[in-house]
Amino acid sequence: MSTKQQSPKRPAGKSESNRSLIYWIGGGILGLALIVWMAAAIANEGGGADAIAFGEVTVEGADLPFFDASATDPAIGITAPTVTGVDWNGNEYTIGPDGRPKIVVMVAHWCPHCQREVPILEQWYEDGGLPDGVDIYGVTVLTNQLRDGSTYPPSKWLEGDGWTIPTLMDDEGGSIATAFGLTSTPTYLVLDGDNNNLGRIAGEIGTDGYDALASIAAASLSG
Amino acid sequence: MSSDSILLYSNVVALLALVSLLAAVELSVYRLVKGPDAARILQGRAIWLAWLVALVATLGSLFYSEVIGFPPCRLCWFQRIAMYPMAVVLLVGAIRREFQVKYYALPLALIGFAMSVYHVFVQWFPTLEGTSCDPNNPCSNKFVEIFGFVTIPFMAGAGFILIAVLLGFYVNQTAIPKETGRQV
Repeated sequence: MSTKQQSPKRPAGKSESNRSLIYWIGGGILGLALIVWMAAAIANEGGGADAIAFGEVTVEGADLPFFDASATDPAIGITAPTVTGVDWNGNEYTIGPDGRPKIVVMVAHWCPHCQREVPILEQWYEDGGLPDGVDIYGVTVLTNQLRDGSTYPPSKWLEGDGWTIPTLMDDEGGSIATAFGLTSTPTYLVLDGDNNNLGRIAGEIGTDGYDALASIAAASLSG
Repeated sequence: MSSDSILLYSNVVALLALVSLLAAVELSVYRLVKGPDAARILQGRAIWLAWLVALVATLGSLFYSEVIGFPPCRLCWFQRIAMYPMAVVLLVGAIRREFQVKYYALPLALIGFAMSVYHVFVQWFPTLEGTSCDPNNPCSNKFVEIFGFVTIPFMAGAGFILIAVLLGFYVNQTAIPKETGRQV
């Protein structure tokens, strides 16, 4: 028989609950620190990036009716307004009755369909898909840093995809989007040399679609 | 709110989502291995944990819309319809120790999870909902994308699946088979 006096053992349950309590207290302190940290971050509201995302725009003429992609374009044959704007490098462009038919593509930086379409369109453009005598312009519309900060400003996104198409930046009020009757992105608009609307199409259209638009624009040269 | 603050907040909630997903997987594996006895590990705390997840998810989504200003799209609203009631129902069930509450909450968690999965697919494959973006608020838009794949519906899905797993652990402790005693 053992003569050693055994010291009373601490009940296992009590040390377990002490450990549990320590975890809860630790977690609570951590949670509180996180809340304070985030509150400080929220209070420290900074201004937006100084990125150039919008440009000055002038629109002359009546806006095209809004485009319902599910129906025939009601604006075919209607003269589109003359739009003047700038790109992020300050280059000025005018979409107007200059005797040259043109394709106008309106894209939004946060739109996944535009993000998929842009590299394909750029490749088509570089491969010489645009017929002689036809111009192409891009327009960055509906720019909104909140919707996708990673592609903001649009110039960052487009340049990242190797974009070389001359592009106007819409203003904060969406003047160009309104002028051309935008209802979704991407939207393509074909204009003849007198700035008459030959048709609009929305959505991802791929190279077959670009070829079709280019054909329509080129046909107006001989028409 | 500055974009840096938004990114900071998003990183934190993305981490929480990944931890939730990991916890759901680990608990599920544990349950598969240990059988009904696995419920002992959380004892009566499973319902409180499930409530906490629902509460954090609810407050987190409200923070995104009401403070940061991200408008919820159609699919976000469907997920909110599944998540927000659980923040209330689970609390009541936890306080009243109503084991039956899991039968009311589990369908919500599973439906919400299915909506989250679909929403993630829409973000990965935008053409599931058309070939152009609604300028108002398309569900294909990723307001947040952390670590290249954690988006807001991903976070919601992680919350839903963890709630579902925790509800599976919420059983009447007296119903668990007792451990066999040692032979003296």
